[in-house]
Amino acid sequence: MSVAWQFYFSTLLIYLAVNVMAVWGLNLQFGVAGISSFAFIVFQAAGAYTAGVLTLGPSTNASFQQYVGGANLPFPLPVIAAGLVGGLLAGLVGLVGIRRLRTDYQAMVMLVISLTATYLADNQTNVVNGPAGLSLVPKPLEGGLGLSTISYQWFYVGLAAAFCVIIYWFVRRYTNSPLGRATRAVRDNEQAAAALGKNVFGLRMIAFVAGGVIAGISGAVFVEFIGAWSPGSWLYPETFVLFTAILVGGTGNNVGVAVGALLVPIGFLESTRFLPNIGYPGFVDALQWIAVGVLALIFLWFWPRGVIPERKRRFPHPGEKPVGLAALRLLRLRR
Amino acid sequence: MSLLVASIGFGLVTASILAVAAVGFTLQFGVTNILNLAFGDVMTASAFVAYIATSNGVNIWLAVALCALFGAAFSALLNRFLYTPFVRHGTKLFGMIVVTIAVSLIIQNALQAIYGASFFSLKFSAGSSYHIGSMVFTTSQVGIMAIAVVAMLGVYSLLKFSKLGKAMRATASDPVLARSCGIATDRVIDVAWLLSGALCGIAGVALAMNVTSFTSTTGGTFLIAIVAAAVLGGVGQAYGAMLGALTIGICSEVAAGVIAPSYKQVVAFVVLVLVLLIRPQGILSEVADQKEVAA
Repeated sequence: MSVAWQFYFSTLLIYLAVNVMAVWGLNLQFGVAGISSFAFIVFQAAGAYTAGVLTLGPSTNASFQQYVGGANLPFPLPVIAAGLVGGLLAGLVGLVGIRRLRTDYQAMVMLVISLTATYLADNQTNVVNGPAGLSLVPKPLEGGLGLSTISYQWFYVGLAAAFCVIIYWFVRRYTNSPLGRATRAVRDNEQAAAALGKNVFGLRMIAFVAGGVIAGISGAVFVEFIGAWSPGSWLYPETFVLFTAILVGGTGNNVGVAVGALLVPIGFLESTRFLPNIGYPGFVDALQWIAVGVLALIFLWFWPRGVIPERKRRFPHPGEKPVGLAALRLLRLRR
Repeated sequence: MSLLVASIGFGLVTASILAVAAVGFTLQFGVTNILNLAFGDVMTASAFVAYIATSNGVNIWLAVALCALFGAAFSALLNRFLYTPFVRHGTKLFGMIVVTIAVSLIIQNALQAIYGASFFSLKFSAGSSYHIGSMVFTTSQVGIMAIAVVAMLGVYSLLKFSKLGKAMRATASDPVLARSCGIATDRVIDVAWLLSGALCGIAGVALAMNVTSFTSTTGGTFLIAIVAAAVLGGVGQAYGAMLGALTIGICSEVAAGVIAPSYKQVVAFVVLVLVLLIRPQGILSEVADQKEVAA
């Protein structure tokens, strides 16, 4: 493979890893807990800004970008901090947004939160450098390893994959645990879950904050790689792309949504990269957004449960003999 | 002090535009139970219609009428051929939001693909200025306010006194019951979308007249204020939306004048957050309570 292709594929893989992490986070909030989290991209943005600022070092009057809270932390720390900030912000948004709101009403409120956050970041020029955003964020360990540019690319692919593995382990544990089961119960029938003594708000909040942490980490992994982050990179349609990925993949299914992330943000948006440049700059982008919108409509109409639907979990009644797969699983457990 | 009064003057203009938009938005929800997040983008589309018209020498007030027609037709068709089929297909609340956001993205980017991501201004003369205390209004601003007042009075009397308005309110509160009482709910819904679409079109031109320049995302950003006004008044409540628009319009312009211009949208947002924390169903909450949007 020529160097240019290697460069292209490794970059694509890193984008994929970031998107897969993001859809797992969103799936936890929306697919598992049933929260219409249309502000998701804000948590990713918060993570990206945090990681960027903590890697860039203190902002001085002489430097060309103005931001708050700069520091020079060594590699894993900015990512961890990004996760914490993402979770914290999700907690704050959750206090307003996760009340007993009808799902469409909630989506509208979250969307307004997202719009306002972008507006604020754009207009408060001294917090995260306004519309220009952060740039020249140094890549982690780049100097210390002494790798060539292309080897570093593959090193970063490994790094992003490692984060993916950790997060997959986490979301799998989460969704298969009693906690995940209770959260799904809240999603499917809030009143019934409450009647069984489940803390509806608490369960939703835990899923929401966990999703926020994952979003923050995904943003950090992204910004440490591309080195720049501005309000233009996290407009609300980006959340819509992730939602489309979840709808296409299969709401609530961790494997399904990962496939969705492969198909929609990567496959769909990247496939047009090799089109000849028609029209003015930005013309193809506009067409892409239109296509994403149409794709979401098509899937909602024909396959609302996605290509790999959530597995319907069956539990035997007490006293009832388990049948089929459930019996097999129980047998395996007993052994 | 004079700054404050001047800001209130600007606030009255913003509130007029906002009232027209918010009443349209809330009517769509009230009658058909759809939160149409593409509302702002239909406004932008109307602003572009006005841009084409005024660039070809059409009088601005004629353009307003043209946009009302465009908004009405566009919204009614959107509901008839996209939203309603999805609802009949069994798409639930969250799915419908995805549908409206998809439509919003499609409109916004279609406009951008056609016209590019540059700034546009309507060609019209603002007319002479009038001074009332330290408030200053241009003729076009007075015109906007007059249109808003007429539109609001029109909506009020329609809902309050006409048979059609009664049918609309009946459809809003219980479509099945309304149908079995012999109300042609489909036709009532069409009329409601025509009406709210006309308001949407008028608000779009008025917004483009009031800001110095607009882009393909102007209406989408204005959605923050529309949603805040509608939620403050109790979503689905036409009179509540008027009240909410007045509050948010004036508060945001005063904040912009007294604190900093960038606080304009933030005020709308803060009001929205406060309403959600204290009284998520809004001030006038009959419809919101009935449809169980919030508790």
